[in-house]
Amino acid sequence: MALLSVLSLCVQYQTAQGTVRAVDDVSLELEAGETVGLVGESGCGKSTLGKAIMRLVPATDGKVVLDGEDITRLEGAGLKAARRTMQMIFQDPYGSLNPRHDIGTSIGQPLSVAGWSRHDIRERVAELIAQVGLPADAARRYPHEFSGGQRQRVGIARALALRPKVIICDEPVSALDVSVRAQVINLLQDLQERTGVAYLFISHDLSVVEHVSDRLIVMYLGRIVESGRSEDIWQQPAHPYTLALLAAAPVADPKLARSRRKTVLQGELPSPLNPPQGCSFHARCPMAQERCRTERPMLGQLSGGRAVACHYDLLAQPAELPRALSAAR
Amino acid sequence: MLPRTIDFARRFARNRAAVVGLLLVILVIGIALAAPWIYPRNPLRIVGRPEIWPFVNSRFPLGTDSLGRDIAAMIAYGARTTLLIGLCASITATLIGITVGAAAAYFGGWIDEMLMRFTELFQTIPNLIFVLTIVAILGQKLEYVTIAVGVVTWTPIARLTRAEFLSLRDREFVQACRAMGMSNLRIMFGEILPNALPPVIVLSSLVIAGAVLFESAVSFLGLGDPNVSSWGRLIGDGRTLIRTSWYICAVPGLAIMLTVLALNLVGDGLNDALNPKLRDR
Repeated sequence: MALLSVLSLCVQYQTAQGTVRAVDDVSLELEAGETVGLVGESGCGKSTLGKAIMRLVPATDGKVVLDGEDITRLEGAGLKAARRTMQMIFQDPYGSLNPRHDIGTSIGQPLSVAGWSRHDIRERVAELIAQVGLPADAARRYPHEFSGGQRQRVGIARALALRPKVIICDEPVSALDVSVRAQVINLLQDLQERTGVAYLFISHDLSVVEHVSDRLIVMYLGRIVESGRSEDIWQQPAHPYTLALLAAAPVADPKLARSRRKTVLQGELPSPLNPPQGCSFHARCPMAQERCRTERPMLGQLSGGRAVACHYDLLAQPAELPRALSAAR
Repeated sequence: MLPRTIDFARRFARNRAAVVGLLLVILVIGIALAAPWIYPRNPLRIVGRPEIWPFVNSRFPLGTDSLGRDIAAMIAYGARTTLLIGLCASITATLIGITVGAAAAYFGGWIDEMLMRFTELFQTIPNLIFVLTIVAILGQKLEYVTIAVGVVTWTPIARLTRAEFLSLRDREFVQACRAMGMSNLRIMFGEILPNALPPVIVLSSLVIAGAVLFESAVSFLGLGDPNVSSWGRLIGDGRTLIRTSWYICAVPGLAIMLTVLALNLVGDGLNDALNPKLRDR
């Protein structure tokens, strides 16, 4: 049994224009100590999925099982206990800390909610501040005195405070400068080695996710289109959408970058209010065929723990790849 | 915390008018506190000839009224009544307003709908008539006047608190608190409220000025507490003599005007000091 299992989770919003299926029938598993990356464009539902797992937004359907316990319908004390096992790191280091609290109070908050004594909180906070590499006098200073990267360290310390088994990282480095990004990612990996915490790492930036993840999940319009081991997907994507995402990721070596085939997707992400019939990606897919417009592909298991939701996946038809690329160009 | 306080004082002092207002308010508070020492005896006692004009008799610097009572003593004691009612009414209004506004915005949905309709209901009733009705029902005592004024002036505070809470409710630090299982009450009052408070404090300080006016109006109409001295009551008592001894109305009138003006100036100064970003707009 995985540490965290998400089973057919759906999140729907009612709006004046109709129902939005922000997350539609998503299942995933997270084992202890591993990192699963969740990628997709802005608006594809990845943050909503993270928040639904955290029970910050209500799930319409499906289950979240944490450490063998179904937490989807938990309330009160039960939910509070579950939240000690699972914590979250937020995207915006400026918005995720209360400007009226000093850093020590912010980091100590989960402990105080859990009923720790003042003395114990102070000791643990000092330990956490050292662990995430903040200066020792940080506890008594206020968020506006810190840079974005340092504030994100505070957010990480707060998430770690109760020694959770799972941390959901919701775009933890997207708001940071590129130079600070690597430091924060290294810190996260370092902490994982030391504490054995598992990450669900949400990002729109494939190069970041690929660097930290053991497994990858690619989402498009509220659904999983491909999942599997990181290096497998990186080397040979099975879904045309993943291929396009990979092609859009920046490459450090300029020679390599120039030699690369550029697959630029046409069009915009369709409105989740009115998703296309059939495969939701067909309008932008360079290899879409008649069947894709009418029939929605199911997430099918392939060998090696991979899964892909495509009628004509690139692994089954390697011959299609060059055609797909040239069509895309 | 100390540098913050100094910073706050500096921003407040930048508004000269607010400093003048603050000095006036301190003066009124000083008079109110000193009243029992300056005039140890009951201010409503008859002490001399009626209708002595101000600055005529050095025993009665502000003159005497139609019954021969010392106006200066009544002004000094009236400052106590006025400030006490103003302050307590403002605290009452702020407590009601923050509770209603915070609950409406935080819980949303039908609770919000219900509380906001309730607020609008209060807003539709003309304030003065509402105050008079409450005082008429409960009785002519200082506490009831305070409650009445508080009950009619909380609505703008509730609306402002709601607006502030709405913009803060979905911020990530609030979500972080929910993610760690913090209780709703603690999130509302420990996390969101300190951030929502500055504009609310400004409004509360302005409500004090409004409460002073309400109290004067109630006393003027003779519905105030008959056993205490009050500025509004002094005006009410003097109104029959306005053609001859107009100073009986003018002196307390001036006191009300200056106090309300001073409170408004302080409110503006607080606004500058607490919301520095709005200042230069």
